[in-house]
Amino acid sequence: MSDVVAVKQIGRSIPRLEAREKVTGRADYVHHLRLPGMLYGKIFRSNVPHARIKRIDVSAAQALAGVYRVATIDDIRKVIPNPYYGPAFHDQPILADGKVRFAGEPVAVVLAADRRIAEEAVGLITAEYEELPAVYDEIEAATSSTIIHAELKPASTFPDLQHLKGRRDTNIALDYHLLRGDPEAAFAAADHVFEHTFKTQPVMHTPMEPFVTVADASDERITLYTSSQGPSFVRIEIARLLGWPENRVRVKVPHLGGGFGAKLYIKLEALVTALSLIAKRPVKISLAMEEQFFMVTRHPCTFKIKSGVDRDGRITARRCDIWWNGGAYADIGPRVTQKAGFTSAGPYDIDNVAIESYAVYTNRPPAGALRGFGAPQTAWAYECHMDMIAEALGLDKIAFRRKNLLRNGRPQATGTIMRDAALEKVLDQLVERMDWQLPFDRGTGHVRRGRGIAIGFKGITAPTTSVAIVNLYGDGSCGLYIGTVDMGQGSDTVMAQIAAEVLNIDAASIRVVHPDTDVTPYDMGTLGSRSTFHMGTAVRLAAEEARGKIDVLAREVGAPPGHNVPLSELLRRKYGMQAGNIIGTGSFIPAYEKPDSKTGASSLATPFWGVGATGAEVEVDMETGKFTITKLINIADVGTPINPQLVKVQLSGAAIMQLGFTTTENMVFHDGQLTNGSLADYKIPTLLDLPLQFVNECVEAYQKDGPFGAKGAGESTTIALSPAIGNAIADATGVRLTDLPITPESLCRAIQAAKGTPMPGD
Amino acid sequence: MASFELVEPSTLEEAFALLDRDDPAIRPIGGGTALMLMMKAHLFQPVRLVSLRRVDSRFSGISPSDDGHFFRIGAMTTFSTIEHAQDLRMHFPVLARTMRTLANVRVRNVATVGGNLAHADPHLDLPPVWIALGAQAVILSPGGERVVPVDDIFVGYYETSLRHNDLIAEIRVPLQRSWRAVYFKVTTRAAHDWPALGIAVAAEIVDGMINDLRLVLSAAIDKPTRLLQAEAVLRGAPIDATNLRRAGDAAVEEVAIEADGQGSASYKKHLLRIYLARAIQSVAEESAA
Repeated sequence: MSDVVAVKQIGRSIPRLEAREKVTGRADYVHHLRLPGMLYGKIFRSNVPHARIKRIDVSAAQALAGVYRVATIDDIRKVIPNPYYGPAFHDQPILADGKVRFAGEPVAVVLAADRRIAEEAVGLITAEYEELPAVYDEIEAATSSTIIHAELKPASTFPDLQHLKGRRDTNIALDYHLLRGDPEAAFAAADHVFEHTFKTQPVMHTPMEPFVTVADASDERITLYTSSQGPSFVRIEIARLLGWPENRVRVKVPHLGGGFGAKLYIKLEALVTALSLIAKRPVKISLAMEEQFFMVTRHPCTFKIKSGVDRDGRITARRCDIWWNGGAYADIGPRVTQKAGFTSAGPYDIDNVAIESYAVYTNRPPAGALRGFGAPQTAWAYECHMDMIAEALGLDKIAFRRKNLLRNGRPQATGTIMRDAALEKVLDQLVERMDWQLPFDRGTGHVRRGRGIAIGFKGITAPTTSVAIVNLYGDGSCGLYIGTVDMGQGSDTVMAQIAAEVLNIDAASIRVVHPDTDVTPYDMGTLGSRSTFHMGTAVRLAAEEARGKIDVLAREVGAPPGHNVPLSELLRRKYGMQAGNIIGTGSFIPAYEKPDSKTGASSLATPFWGVGATGAEVEVDMETGKFTITKLINIADVGTPINPQLVKVQLSGAAIMQLGFTTTENMVFHDGQLTNGSLADYKIPTLLDLPLQFVNECVEAYQKDGPFGAKGAGESTTIALSPAIGNAIADATGVRLTDLPITPESLCRAIQAAKGTPMPGD
Repeated sequence: MASFELVEPSTLEEAFALLDRDDPAIRPIGGGTALMLMMKAHLFQPVRLVSLRRVDSRFSGISPSDDGHFFRIGAMTTFSTIEHAQDLRMHFPVLARTMRTLANVRVRNVATVGGNLAHADPHLDLPPVWIALGAQAVILSPGGERVVPVDDIFVGYYETSLRHNDLIAEIRVPLQRSWRAVYFKVTTRAAHDWPALGIAVAAEIVDGMINDLRLVLSAAIDKPTRLLQAEAVLRGAPIDATNLRRAGDAAVEEVAIEADGQGSASYKKHLLRIYLARAIQSVAEESAA
């Protein structure tokens, strides 16, 4: 029986609901799951980047004692006749189908009851390839005669991809266009024109919990236990692959050890489903940490940006050409291309804008969503570009941004009117926290100090739907049934706070039922900063409906207006015993207008805006190129936080992650082969890499249509961090780096080159 | 990981008997921190591991020698024990300082001095420090005992002069009271990383003159190596910009530095010149203090 509480549930930093079970090791993860009769699958991967498969020899593996069987695409076809999947394009085979398109692609799987035997057997498989020319660079691939996929196969999921159907002999999976005003005329009329090119590198999500899926299939039904951020999508896609109705596919997701966009859409699920159908036994595949590099990465991109500026420092025109390296399979890359494309001119009020954004296939591991959905890559370009213009024109970098900043009420490049985007406030608070007006120590000897800022924004993927169910039981206690996946961000706690606020109960007393598609209703996915806004609203609506039903019940059983009879008593009066339920449902899809395919124009391009700014101070050793970030300040607009402490850790977590993508992380390829595919050589930041001073704050803000004024917070501090550091380093050294990551060596080389003593290449 | 036999003999004779076959899949094991990683990565699949943790006291303990000329450190001594040993801190502060940059507390609680030497990964931090300190290793085998400079253990990349039934029992670090030593671990990626280069210097410096020194480079080359040419430039010389530059020139000439994930060869050579000079200056500052 829940206590009726008068305490406000919103805006309180209550502890995470699952804190105790996590620190005591009791929390449920798929990795712990063992089903009776379960087989383990181990994947045999291609060691060439682009080739026709001439022969796969599995005989020695099949003959090894303890091997249940070995499967290739021919076996998969027997249970899934058309074994191609993907959220945007049906381009990815469950196992390589006659061809491999990147080094590391799954070619065959060994099943065994003992995972060590499966592993040993993988070492006995051999494949013969006829190698094909390969293409790795996104610019080269855009016009290359080396074609990765003969024909584009858009999925039916997104109506705005249908025009691509049947397009042949191109590596450009999607071309997104935006045109506002007359950029060419404005460039011709501009007092100054600047053009720069920026590049970002391939990086990986590196969740602490690698991908893992268990499938338990019978003829009639299949149950998947999977580390997925989008169980509803998994169900839809598996049902499509099998030709089954959704109600024969059950997808369950317990806790996740991090996702960051990696665990969206279909990852291991199609493969493990097929294997379980073939073996008629439960099958589990858990990837090793090192195998994650071959599942999904973040898009490297090349971004050419050009601006026209008048003599007063107003930006009159901007052109953005962006090539996104999507790797061998589209995954959600085409959506990244569109969604990051439409904000790629930055949070500035520019009358004339042209944007061309291309998703390009290459012979690299697939790229997909990663915390920011492309926004951090575009901000790296547009915010370094802003500083470079200000430096060239001798303008104050803050004043130049303020002058051009997009204000609420003004149209963004799509034509969507900016609302509830606290860009000015965020910039003001950052400047204040950075003590920008105070004199700055620029260092002595070989140590030089500098500082820089950057600001950015992102649109939110749309249109997407969330559905929630609030179920009050006979004793008045509450279950909340949602498809949102708590992967460490604290969504269980926040959703419970929203329901509790409406129902006037204690949030900690609510049981949040984890995604189980037999039980929990539809949700598009836990992605793109959408859960608090979308699912939060659905939960609010569900709780309001339940509250309305309680009022009806109270009148029905004769409780007077203003009564304080607990729900359990109301139900007892109605049913004569502890029985019954009150069920409230809520469903939410924000308004959206599909952008015009030629101009990108839309009056409602996004349900809300993510806004973040970062300031950095750095110290550079001019002799070695080694640098220390002495101060890092992140300011975000998250609306009004539901749980301020959880927001704060989201902001700091996102910033640390982006710090890695800025300075230490880089998947290095040589002839299409990943050469640093282990955490010994692919360096994610540790606590030792944190800035000496590290501040994460949000501004006071209110998102009018968000639940209790809130909006998403998971990506805001990823956006502007890289350019802030790049700008600070340029300020310290006088040297501008245009490619990420910024490493001691890349900086040292640039410093030496600027001194006229370039270091030899190797 | 396939199954294997783990044995813990309590006498040296038993240990030698268990190691008798010249089979690369039979290996002695100290703390196992490096071996386990190799096993997980399928680089090493043992048939039998012979743990030395129960073997006699020869392999443990830290104490000054009777004649006071050196310190003996048992080969099974863990890094944490070294880090916190007061007498070592007093005589060889470079050891405790190096420990702070070496792996993490969980590894230091388990990893052993002898296993570290026998592993012969050129990126390890302690071997160059031992070499700079002029340490020797006591090696036992069924045929008897021999004492060799630590330098002589390393033959190449993960390659040692140790035979299958050789066991490192202890190392001996000479007490040179007028000498000072530093170790520079130079990382180029994240703070917590293998060094791109390690530079260990021990020297006797009086009034800005280098009387004698040992200069060791690790990580950037196939094994920890004395930079003898650079030493020759600096031995008996005053510390000044010209001599440091000449020593840097000699250093990059005398070793074959190759590119890897931590940096290009030219960048590592550039770093070697800079950090060699900084290391010498750092020893000079310690000597003056």
